[in-house]
Amino acid sequence: MNQNRILVVEDNPKNLKLVKDVLTHWGYVVIEATTGEDGVRLAGEASPDLVLMDLQLPGIDGMEALRRIREGDRSRQVPVVAVTAFAMTEDRQRAFDGGFDGYVEKPISVRDLHDQVRDFLELGGAR
Amino acid sequence: MDAATRWWYAVGELSGTSTSGTVSAGEHEALLRNHAALVDQFDAVNEVLSAVGRSGGDPDTVLTTIVDSARRLCRSDAAHVYILEDGVYELIKAVGVSDASLAFIADHPMPVDRDTLIGRVGLTHRTQQIADVLADPDYGRHDLQRVAGYRTTMGAPMLIDDEVVGALTLWRNDVSPFDEREMAIVSAFAVQAAMAVKSVKLVQQLEARRAELGRKVEQLEALRHVGEAVSSSLDVEAVLATIAMHAVELSGTGGGSIMEYSPRDHSFLVRSVYKTAPEVVERLRAAHIDLDETVVGRAARERRPIAVEDLGALDLDPHLSILYDAGWRSVVAVPLLRDEQIVGSLVVRRKQTGGFSDETLELLETFASQSALALINARLYRELKEQSVELELASRHKSEFLASMSHELRTPLNAVLGFSEVLLERLFGDINERQEEYLQDIHSSGKHLLELLNEILDLSKVEAGRMDLEYSVFALRPLLEGAAAMLRERAAAHDIDLQVGQADDLGELRSDERRLKQVVLNLMTNAVKFTGDGGSVRVNASRHGDDVEITVEDTGVGIPESDRERIFESFQQGGRGSSREEGTGLGLTLCRRLVELLGGRMWLRSEVGVGSTFGVVLPQGAPGGAEPDKTGEGLADVVVIEDDRPSLDLLAAYLSGSAVRVTTARDGQSGLDAVRRVRPAAVLLDIKLPGIDGWAVLRALKSDPTLREIPVVIISVLDERVRGREMGASAYLVKPVGRDQLWSALAAAGLAFPERDEVTAP
Repeated sequence: MNQNRILVVEDNPKNLKLVKDVLTHWGYVVIEATTGEDGVRLAGEASPDLVLMDLQLPGIDGMEALRRIREGDRSRQVPVVAVTAFAMTEDRQRAFDGGFDGYVEKPISVRDLHDQVRDFLELGGAR
Repeated sequence: MDAATRWWYAVGELSGTSTSGTVSAGEHEALLRNHAALVDQFDAVNEVLSAVGRSGGDPDTVLTTIVDSARRLCRSDAAHVYILEDGVYELIKAVGVSDASLAFIADHPMPVDRDTLIGRVGLTHRTQQIADVLADPDYGRHDLQRVAGYRTTMGAPMLIDDEVVGALTLWRNDVSPFDEREMAIVSAFAVQAAMAVKSVKLVQQLEARRAELGRKVEQLEALRHVGEAVSSSLDVEAVLATIAMHAVELSGTGGGSIMEYSPRDHSFLVRSVYKTAPEVVERLRAAHIDLDETVVGRAARERRPIAVEDLGALDLDPHLSILYDAGWRSVVAVPLLRDEQIVGSLVVRRKQTGGFSDETLELLETFASQSALALINARLYRELKEQSVELELASRHKSEFLASMSHELRTPLNAVLGFSEVLLERLFGDINERQEEYLQDIHSSGKHLLELLNEILDLSKVEAGRMDLEYSVFALRPLLEGAAAMLRERAAAHDIDLQVGQADDLGELRSDERRLKQVVLNLMTNAVKFTGDGGSVRVNASRHGDDVEITVEDTGVGIPESDRERIFESFQQGGRGSSREEGTGLGLTLCRRLVELLGGRMWLRSEVGVGSTFGVVLPQGAPGGAEPDKTGEGLADVVVIEDDRPSLDLLAAYLSGSAVRVTTARDGQSGLDAVRRVRPAAVLLDIKLPGIDGWAVLRALKSDPTLREIPVVIISVLDERVRGREMGASAYLVKPVGRDQLWSALAAAGLAFPERDEVTAP
């Protein structure tokens, strides 16, 4: 099985568990963070292949976390995908404008998530 | 015999005397004296005539010469020229008249009557004299005589076209009647004086006329400025300042202000002030200018301008006393009225006392009406602005609330739907039938909640005018089939026969595919929901001229007449009996709003116990009149992934003439989703995309064995042909791309889409 490492930044414990269990089931290594600050730190320290990031977080929000991840030497290149309950068209646009590589709307579809994660990992591979 | 002829006659008489017969020494001496006098007269007349000649532009010099010469030649104590104005003589030039006499004459004008010599001259049009005013029983101006002291007076009329325009008169302070010669001289001088006066009058009239014209032009200019300012500027302060300035300048006053009336406060508020000291402006702005207790208020109440000629002679109201303290002495207050409503007041003022001419008042009233208009515009604008700020705020609060509510509901829904899906997918082991049933219930309830949430968001977007439609050209039948496919399982569970009827001879539709599908799916879901077991649901589409009509017909419970309008309102499900499952109560409202947004309309036909038919009529709007397809199967799918709207439309337009069904995507991620869903014959791919860019999309496509074979044509502003080729693109086109270029690229990739005609040809 692939051993791709995925950092999940999510403050809601149930939603974190859902994503973690599903990704683990598919054979990914999941690294967890529940705040933006932790997410930024782990994006550097843990060298993930992909970051799935909630936008609304305690402390710094997902947008700010992304900005800091892009400033980090080790995390500059990692694909970062917004996974969020913000569902307005403007939210999606804002995320792309802010530099996110993808946008997955909650509630997620477990089935689609598989394809989506694969696509985003491809993206990282190309960098 | 006119006056000049008489004079020459008199001179001739003298000459005749000097040349007739022999003369004595005394006579000789007299003759010499006469000769000297004659020469003197000649000189005088010459002097007058040459003065007249010289003074073409200056009649005043002529008149001065005339009175001086007449007085000297006729050995008089005083000489004057009067002009006749409105039946009264006015003294315009005098010599030898004391100041006291001048003042007395000015205060006691002389009319044309027998009381005075000039009066008589005016009556008879003849040169005449009063040998001794004190001895003349008809003489009526002893008062003047007592002041001036004259005894003998002689005068000649100044005639123009036999009309008396004035008189030239002489006084002698002793009783010494004038002789005929002197009378002739005065008559002759009067002729010259008349001509001088005439030219004075002409010049004066011309000047008055020119001044009047100038003033009118100035006024018109000012009014035009004001009019332009009123109609073109929403900057009220600037408009009012312009009006105040022009009103003050044109009325020849020293300062002014424009006030707005507030019905609520029953008083006027100073809005704009011109040529007034800052501290006075401050006091004016702070003043309570009451409608009932001020001159400004009275002018407004009486709907007419009120002028105060001397502020010092009045009990001053608070407003006027501020002005008086600041040195202003006379004012006019002109009400600003609109349809008889008091809007405000225009006030101009001077530092001197004095009245205001009718012309000034008229002018100010014109300015007042412009000011009224400006103030009303300003008020409307202000109200609009306040309202729109409030609306904007309310709308923002609503949007913020909806966004936050949506977020807060989606978060728990994510867990509900996600975990139930995980279990239903048996990711972590098997489940029994009952567990599966319950999980389905949890999942569908969660989905229902999500649907409700989405509909609320959609509806609020439509109502806020923020629903963005994405138009594209697409075939209707696949859309209807797709919607039916989503419901088939549910219909089958209740033995409902769900069929899509004739819908394939309609050609294409230009509309928002996603939104139209949402509408159709909603109507079909309702139909299945309200149809009893064993019933049927039929979906049909037909073309009527330029319109396409989609109908969803069920054999359900039907909708009573009384509910047919109500069911389109939010949260009204109508008395359609018990439905199999709960609805959102928003579906039909949203459907109708979306259809209206797409330029169409909805209708409903229903019979209780028999069934209902919902109709959607939409403009076809397809380019090229849309030749009908005979076979939906003849269409090739092409996915176009392009974030730029105009480029997307252009590519869709290029493909529209052919047997191609276009699916569009605006970013890499949804592009990939679309390719996986549609399995198209070709992909047109932009490189610069939000999120996953074109390169990543291409890599993903080429690394997926099931998608690898789909030809990809890259269309980009970047020229990276080599990289494109290396990564497996069939063709690489650099924008701008023409239609033929696109077609040859597709052809080179082994794709020859037949023209629409070829497909439809028998």
